[in-house]
Amino acid sequence: MWLVAQFRLQGSKVLAVDLMGDAVKARNGSMVAYSGQMSFKKLSGGGDGLRGMVTRRLTGEQMVVMEVKGQGTCYFADRATEVNLVRLNGETLYVEADNLLCTEATLHTGTSFTGLHGMTSGNGLFTTKVEGQGWAAVMSDGPAIILRVSQGMPLRVDPGAYIAHTGNLNRNFKSGAGFSTFFGEGGGEAVQIEFVGDGLVYVQPSERVTIGGDV
Amino acid sequence: MSYPPQSPYGQPGYPPQQGGLPQQGGYPQPGYPPQQGGYPPQPGGYPQQPQQYGGPQAPLPQTAAGGPVVHDVTTLPSNDNVNPYAFSVDLNGQYFLQKGKMVAYYGNIQFHGIGHGPLDALIGRSFHSPLHAADWVVAEGQGKMILADRAFDLNSYDLEDGNLTVRSGNLLAFDPRLSLKQSIIPGFLTLIGTGKFVAASNGPVHFVEPPIRVDPQALVGWADCPSPCHHYDHSYMRGVLGGIRQLTGLGGVSGEEHQFEFIGAGQVLLQSSEKLMADINIGHVPAEAGIPGAGAPSQAGRQQPQQQLPNIPGLGNLGDLGRRFGL
Repeated sequence: MWLVAQFRLQGSKVLAVDLMGDAVKARNGSMVAYSGQMSFKKLSGGGDGLRGMVTRRLTGEQMVVMEVKGQGTCYFADRATEVNLVRLNGETLYVEADNLLCTEATLHTGTSFTGLHGMTSGNGLFTTKVEGQGWAAVMSDGPAIILRVSQGMPLRVDPGAYIAHTGNLNRNFKSGAGFSTFFGEGGGEAVQIEFVGDGLVYVQPSERVTIGGDV
Repeated sequence: MSYPPQSPYGQPGYPPQQGGLPQQGGYPQPGYPPQQGGYPPQPGGYPQQPQQYGGPQAPLPQTAAGGPVVHDVTTLPSNDNVNPYAFSVDLNGQYFLQKGKMVAYYGNIQFHGIGHGPLDALIGRSFHSPLHAADWVVAEGQGKMILADRAFDLNSYDLEDGNLTVRSGNLLAFDPRLSLKQSIIPGFLTLIGTGKFVAASNGPVHFVEPPIRVDPQALVGWADCPSPCHHYDHSYMRGVLGGIRQLTGLGGVSGEEHQFEFIGAGQVLLQSSEKLMADINIGHVPAEAGIPGAGAPSQAGRQQPQQQLPNIPGLGNLGDLGRRFGL
């Protein structure tokens, strides 16, 4: 069991991974320091193999990752964003490719179709999914807030603040643009993602600039 | 004069910090009754440790069970901070927020742009300068709504029959019981009445009492005290040498020769950074004589003294050297 990479946080913005000869996949160029012996290998197409490479190219959910292998401790960080650790026990984590910092090699990554809302939210039509057993590190602008969605209590999220979700959730594009949008001023929160089902949604206290404008 | 121990509005948003201002006891004025702290201990909430969200033992938000803090509609704080960067509003009725600051919500909430017919009465009560109302959204309904602004620090403030003037870009949301007005000082808004509002700042907010001189970039707002005046370190700026210094920077200007000076009784809010948040447009003021920021001459027909000074094109008026020599 000690052969498994150990994920821990060094402060809230740096991820430290203790490696014992095993490997992790990390966002290309996110290594800030390491001790011990490490080798870095760029993986094309998100490290999902040839099929994954083609899929990523086609879907635009580009993710440039590297494989880090060795003995010692490797430190990862990206633009001083907050790092959030997510433990997966067979669930699937859906995450925006831009927000995925590092995953254990035991986790499988791929792309998933998000539905048409992606187009308006500016996040693309596809999202990255991570599944298996192990740790994943997700980045957010400000510490992520984890919100539970349960039956009868749906959650609506600003697309610019959405980072990731787990569990059995349906995503619906919800236009909050009512009559008032066409009649005078816009409501400012015209596009929302509605999550229905059972699961957890990660949001950040900040909003990406989206194509949908100032939402 | 030193800053007496105080509790800013009874709800610091940031609990007493090491090295910060000593804060104890209630704010003595009746306008700001002590309230529960910014982060009351809640199941899954954030205890009094701003650096470690959730637990003193873990770098990630942790519950007693060891997992990350998961909020749902019942555990989200009610009109309080979720963490230093996010604020949860327990909505039952209406709330005003700046466009685009809603991050997520539970419940049944509609967002209306201002200018929407049925809300006219509400807007009439709360907005007293219609020109900037277009930057605001009315959230209406029942539920919990999380507000955030580009991961800036958020604090909520309770006014009880009080007034607080804040930089326009820093105000995020407010209770419609408060009324919002343009301040005479360009770029600032004044909130008057009883209710709660949420403001953002670049770094935690510190509360100090006048008399005090503050750096213009660090000023977030002020409550109760008279509006500030400019203060220049005049001995350093005076004379020909001072003019050359001011004009060229030669001879050393520290960049701190100009401050805002506050006097009287009240509170001054400072952010712990000199990086300003972008102003939002608060609308124009009518271009009439006697209105600051309106761009109208103070008295019609009066000659501007500036035009009589030697004014070399491209160089300006040489740091007002002419006036210094009485030309």
